[in-house]
Amino acid sequence: MTTESVMTEPQRTRVAPTVLAGIGAFVVVGVYVLISSIDLGLWTSSGPGPGMFPFAMGGLLVAMSAIWLVQELRQPTETASGVDRGLVIAVVVSLALLAAVMDLIGFQLSMFIFLMYHLKIRGRRGWVSSLIIALAGSVGAFYAFNYGLNVALPTAGITVLNSIGL
Amino acid sequence: MDTLNELANGFASALTWQNLIFAFLGCLLGTIIGVLPGIGPVAGVALLIPLTMNLDATGAIIMLCAIFYGTAYGGTITSVLLNTPGEAASAITTIDGYAMTKIGKAGAALTIAAVGSFVGGTIATLGLVAAAKPLGELGLLVGPPEFFALMVVGISLLVALAGKSMVKALISGALGLLISMVGIDPVAGAPRFTFGSDNLLDGVSFVAVIVGVFGLSEILSYRKDSKAAAVHAPGLRSLLPTGTEWRRSAPSMARGTGIGFGLGLIPGMTGSVSSLLAYGAEKKFSKHRNELGKGAIEGVAGPETANNAHANAALIPLFTLGIPASPTIAVLMGAFLQQGLTPGPTLFTEHSEIAWAIIASLFIGNLLLLLLNVPLVGLWTSILRVPASILTALILLFMVIGAYTINFNVFDVFVMIGFGLLGLALRHLDIPLAPMVLTLVLGPLMERSLRESLEISQGDFGIFVNRPISMVLIGVGVLIILSPLLKLRKPKALNEDPET
Amino acid sequence: MTRTRIAAAFAAAALIGLTGCGANAGAANNAGDDFPRKGKSIELIVSFSSGGAVDTAARLVQPILEKELGTNVEVINKPGAGGQIGYTQLTSAKADGYTIGATGSPSVVVSPLDPARGAKYTRESFQPLGRQVIDPTVIAVQPDSPYKTLKDLLDAAKADPKSMTASTTGLQTGEHFAMAQLQETTGAEFAPVHFSEGAAQATTAFLGKHVDILVANVSDVTDLSKQGKARVLGVMTAERAPSLPDVPTFKESGYDIEAGTVRGYSAPAGLPDAVATKLEAAFQKAIEDPTVVKKMEDLGLQTSYLSGKEYQEFWASQEEDFKKVLPLVQKTD
Repeated sequence: MTTESVMTEPQRTRVAPTVLAGIGAFVVVGVYVLISSIDLGLWTSSGPGPGMFPFAMGGLLVAMSAIWLVQELRQPTETASGVDRGLVIAVVVSLALLAAVMDLIGFQLSMFIFLMYHLKIRGRRGWVSSLIIALAGSVGAFYAFNYGLNVALPTAGITVLNSIGL
Repeated sequence: MDTLNELANGFASALTWQNLIFAFLGCLLGTIIGVLPGIGPVAGVALLIPLTMNLDATGAIIMLCAIFYGTAYGGTITSVLLNTPGEAASAITTIDGYAMTKIGKAGAALTIAAVGSFVGGTIATLGLVAAAKPLGELGLLVGPPEFFALMVVGISLLVALAGKSMVKALISGALGLLISMVGIDPVAGAPRFTFGSDNLLDGVSFVAVIVGVFGLSEILSYRKDSKAAAVHAPGLRSLLPTGTEWRRSAPSMARGTGIGFGLGLIPGMTGSVSSLLAYGAEKKFSKHRNELGKGAIEGVAGPETANNAHANAALIPLFTLGIPASPTIAVLMGAFLQQGLTPGPTLFTEHSEIAWAIIASLFIGNLLLLLLNVPLVGLWTSILRVPASILTALILLFMVIGAYTINFNVFDVFVMIGFGLLGLALRHLDIPLAPMVLTLVLGPLMERSLRESLEISQGDFGIFVNRPISMVLIGVGVLIILSPLLKLRKPKALNEDPET
Repeated sequence: MTRTRIAAAFAAAALIGLTGCGANAGAANNAGDDFPRKGKSIELIVSFSSGGAVDTAARLVQPILEKELGTNVEVINKPGAGGQIGYTQLTSAKADGYTIGATGSPSVVVSPLDPARGAKYTRESFQPLGRQVIDPTVIAVQPDSPYKTLKDLLDAAKADPKSMTASTTGLQTGEHFAMAQLQETTGAEFAPVHFSEGAAQATTAFLGKHVDILVANVSDVTDLSKQGKARVLGVMTAERAPSLPDVPTFKESGYDIEAGTVRGYSAPAGLPDAVATKLEAAFQKAIEDPTVVKKMEDLGLQTSYLSGKEYQEFWASQEEDFKKVLPLVQKTD
C-alpha cells in the first residue's frame, strides 16, 4: 500500500505545490462540513440528527488529509504529468458558455456554434464535414429528441429567435 | 422447481419485442462504448442512463445491463485489431490478440473471444440463477444494522483494493459520501449543503456527477502526445477458427470462467484483475505456454472468458445483496434506484417479475452479443477511423444532452462541468475515482440504515456488534481496512490493475 | 475525404437510429387545449418506495388514466424524508399537467408547517385533483408476541416506556402522529423507528423482527393478518374495518383515537383550467372504476372519492387539526 510508493523513489524532493493545494482544499472542505454539520444537529430527541453522518465524513476527510500531508512531508510522491492547459480551458469555457446561453438562444443555435468551434476551429476539419456534423448534432438532434424521443431540448428564450423555430 | 418456473416467466417477459430491442440496442451501444477509446464503461453507462429514463423499469434495466456487458466485449475488438485496449480489462488481450492479427488470424481471435465471452457470461448468469433464491430468502434476516454492515464491507474492500494509497482511497470515499448528502436529508427533511440553491434540494444529480468525473475529465486529460491509433485494415482471412484452435481454447475458457466467476463475486475486484490472473493461469498451466506472446489462442480465450464471466458474476452480489462490486456496477445500481428498484434481497420478494426478466435477458443478451459481434467487426473498426476531433465533439454533444435531460435544466450541465474539473484534479493528485462512485451511490442507503439502526437501539452503537450477522460483517470490514498494518500483502496483479 | 464522410454518415445514422423514425406532427403550445399531446407521457410521482399502498393504488389507477387521457402515464417512485423529496419534485415541476403526483396526508399538509424541515412548498403549491381513499391506522405485533389485546400492549408500554420499537413511514407522517396521539391519551410510549422510504421498508423490517410493533395502515396489514404473520390489535376508526372484521377499534377497547392516512392525487399549482378539468375528470373515472374499487377492497380499503375542490377543503380542515398536535412530533435538539 503506502509502503510501495516508497520503494520506487528513494531520493528526497519537495512536496509538489499542486499536492499541497489539493490537501489544503480537502482540509477546507472538511472543516466547513464539520462546522455546518454541528449546526444541522448531531443528535436529536428522536435519535441521530441530520448532521451526524456528514460530521463523521468531514472528520474522516480532515484526518486523512492530515495523514497524507505527513506522508508527503516524509516522502514526496511524484505527481502525474501535467495537463494540456489549452485543451482544458477550451473545453471548459466553451461548455460553460454553451450552458449559459442555451436557454436564451435555444439548443439548436448554441449547439451549432459549439460544434463548429470544436470541429472547424479546434479540430481544423473541412467546411463541408464540419457543417454537416454540426447541423446533424444541433438541428438534427433537436428534432430527433423532440419528436422521436419526446425529450424536449430547450428552445430560444428570445422571442425573435423562437418565432423562427429555434 | 420454483426457480425454473420464475425463470421461464422471466424469459416470457424478456422475449417481448420491445425488451429484445432494448437488449439489442444495449449490446450495440455497449460495444460502441467499449470500442471507443475516449470513454470508459463507467461514464458510458452513466451517459446513457438519461436515455432510458422514459422506459419502464424492466426495459431500462435490461438495456443498461446489456450496455454493461457489451462494453466488456467491445474493448476486445480494439485490443486484437489495433493493439490498443478499448477498456482496461482487455489490456492483457493485446499481447496475443494483436500478435494473431499480425499473422493474419484476427478473425479467429475475435471469434474465439466472442465465444469465450458468451461461455463465461452464460455460466456466470447460471450462477446468479442458482444463488438468487437461497440468498433472497436470507432477505428478512438483513435488518438495518446488517444492511449497514454489508455496505461497510463493500466499501472497505473497494478502498483496500483501489490504487496504491489507502489514505487517498478513503478521501475519495468520503468525498463521494459528502456529495451524496447534498439535498434534503432523507430522514428528517432538513436541507443540507444546498447553499440556498433550489436546484440542489433534490441533491446533486448522480448522472451529472459520474459523467463529469469519469467522462469529461477523461477528455480534459487528453494529452497532445497521446497519438491516435493507426488503423490498418486487418486481414480477416476467415472468421472461423480451425479445429485445433477450438480444441486448444476449450481448457483456457474453462479456467477463465472459474477465475472470472470467483473474482467477480468479490466486491472491489475489477475485470482487469480477472483477465490478468487468467493470463497468468495460461502461462502456468497451458500446454502451449511457450507460444504465449507469439499469437497463441489461449492468450485470447482465457482472459476474454474471464473478463465476461467476471462482468456477469459481479451482478450476483448486486442482485442478491445490494452491493455493487465495481464502479460500473455502482452506476448500474444508481439506475436501479432511479427506477424505484432497490437491488438486494428484497428485490426478489418485492419485484420478482422484474428481477427474473432481467436475469433472463442476461442470457439473451450474451447470445445477442455473440451474434452481433462477429459479423459486425468491420463496422466497429470503421468507427475507429473517425478522427479524434470529431469523436470528441460528438461525445461532448452527448454529454451535454445527457446532463441536460436529467432534469431539463442547464444547472446539471454546470454540475457536469464542475465535476469534470474535480475529476481532472483527482486524477492529477492520483486519487482513485472508484471509491467515490461507490459511496456516491451507497451514501443515502448507508446513512438511512445507520439512522434506522440507531433508532432501533435508541442511540446505542452496540447494536452493530450485538447482533451476530452484523458483528461478523463489521469485523470483516475492520480487518480489511487494517490488513495493510498487519502486513498482509495483496497479490502483485492488483497493483498493476490499470482501472484503479 | 472518405474518413470524414464516414464520420458524418455515422453521426447521422446514430441520430436517425435514436429517433426511431417517429416524427410526430403538431406541437402547438396553447393553453392546454391540446393536452395531453399524443405520445408525450405523463409522470405520476409517488413519494414513497414501490410496494407500499400509495404505490399500489397509483399503479391501479394508472391504466385507466392512460385510457382516459389517451397517453402514457408513468409511475415514478421518489421516496425519502417521509414523502418530502417527492413532494418537492412535484411542486417544482412545470404546471403543465405532464407531472402529477400521489399525495398523502397528513404528511403533505404537515411537512411545510415544521420550519426544521425547510420544505420548499406550502399547501398552496399543490393543486388537488381528487381524493381516493382513507386508510385507517392500525397497530400490530409479532404473531408470537405475549400481548394478545390492545390493553395488554398499551399497559406494558406505559409501565416501561420506550421498551418497544415501533415503525413509522417517516417523521411526522400519519403513523408518527398516531403514536403521538396514543402517548398523549394513554401514556403508552413506544420508541419510533422512521422508515422514511415508506410502508414497504417498515413492513419488511417488521417481518424480519427488527422492530417489535408495526404501526401501519389497514391496507398494509390485511394480507399479513390473513397469513398469520402479524397480529393486529386495534384499528383507529369509528367502525371496524371490513377487511379485518375480528379486530376491535380503539374506541371499543376504551381509547378514543381515530387516525389514518388519506390519499389522493395532485398537480403543481397553476394548471391551465382546461388541463385541470381533463385531469380531474380522468381521475374521477379511474378512482370510481369498478375494477379499481374492487381491487382497493381486496386491499381492505373503501374508496371515498372527493373532487379536487373538496379535497382541498378537506386538507384545510386537516391542517387546522394537525397544527394543534404538531408539537408532539417535532424533534428537539
